[in-house]
Amino acid sequence: MILYFFYFFSFIVILSSFLVVFVSNPVHSVLFLIFTFFNAAIIFLIFKAEFLAMTLLIVYVGAVAVLFLFVVMMLNISESIVKEGFLKYFPFGLLLITIFLIELFMIFSSDKVIFPENGLLKINEIMNLGMDNTKSLGLFLYTDYFIIFQISGFLLLLAMIGAIVLAHSDLKNPKSISPIEQKNIDKKTIIKLN
Amino acid sequence: MQHIHFLTLSTSVFAIGFLGIFVNRKNIITILMSIELMLLSANINFVGFSYLLDDLSGQIFSLFILVVAAAEAAIGLAILTIFFKKTSSISIDTISKLKG
Repeated sequence: MILYFFYFFSFIVILSSFLVVFVSNPVHSVLFLIFTFFNAAIIFLIFKAEFLAMTLLIVYVGAVAVLFLFVVMMLNISESIVKEGFLKYFPFGLLLITIFLIELFMIFSSDKVIFPENGLLKINEIMNLGMDNTKSLGLFLYTDYFIIFQISGFLLLLAMIGAIVLAHSDLKNPKSISPIEQKNIDKKTIIKLN
Repeated sequence: MQHIHFLTLSTSVFAIGFLGIFVNRKNIITILMSIELMLLSANINFVGFSYLLDDLSGQIFSLFILVVAAAEAAIGLAILTIFFKKTSSISIDTISKLKG
């Protein structure tokens, strides 16, 4: 039963991600991206990763997709120049993706791939201790993976500072005067008598 | 559920995102969205193997992929807006300033 749910939602994910790429209007493209992430969150729920599903909804649909929508609406892109170099680059991309897919499916179908029997952090044992998904994630994120967690927080800080520095346009021509410059004004150079 | 199920799903999504970079010559926004799709396929892979192998590490790493994707989207869109301000166009064929 759960397998049919998985088939249904993965079909929707593949269809809507196909439409993200091939739809001509960028606003429709962003809306299909949101739809893709919703269905991917449902697939995460099928895989019993509740915290990640909700995080996907909050981070992507709440932040990233809205950011994309703002940028698309701000830039006012005309959709007249569609399919200009479509036939020029499509065969090359198709060739590359065919090679890539053949390699991957050869790996999937081979018998030499061995999966390890028992993982390091077994979900079933943690669940038997009476902890839910979010609590167990936090338990390992704040202890074993603490340094990586700190680095990812620093990465987000860096991204925030970078985005502000890039998008802030008033740095060259500020409206306010700095007090040091105002104090250093010489009256002989400023006042002119014509 | 076998591993071939979610591997097929994630490979298909990755292939569509990969193809979107090559096919699309309109604007950079669609290319950024294709990169988001590829990162999503990596996430599906991690979470699927976490379910299959009964291991929590996959979900933790998927969280870090989310962080990287959010940072990349923020920086990319900031660069895009400032580029649009300079040249008033984000068509890929007109981007040749780095050629010198």
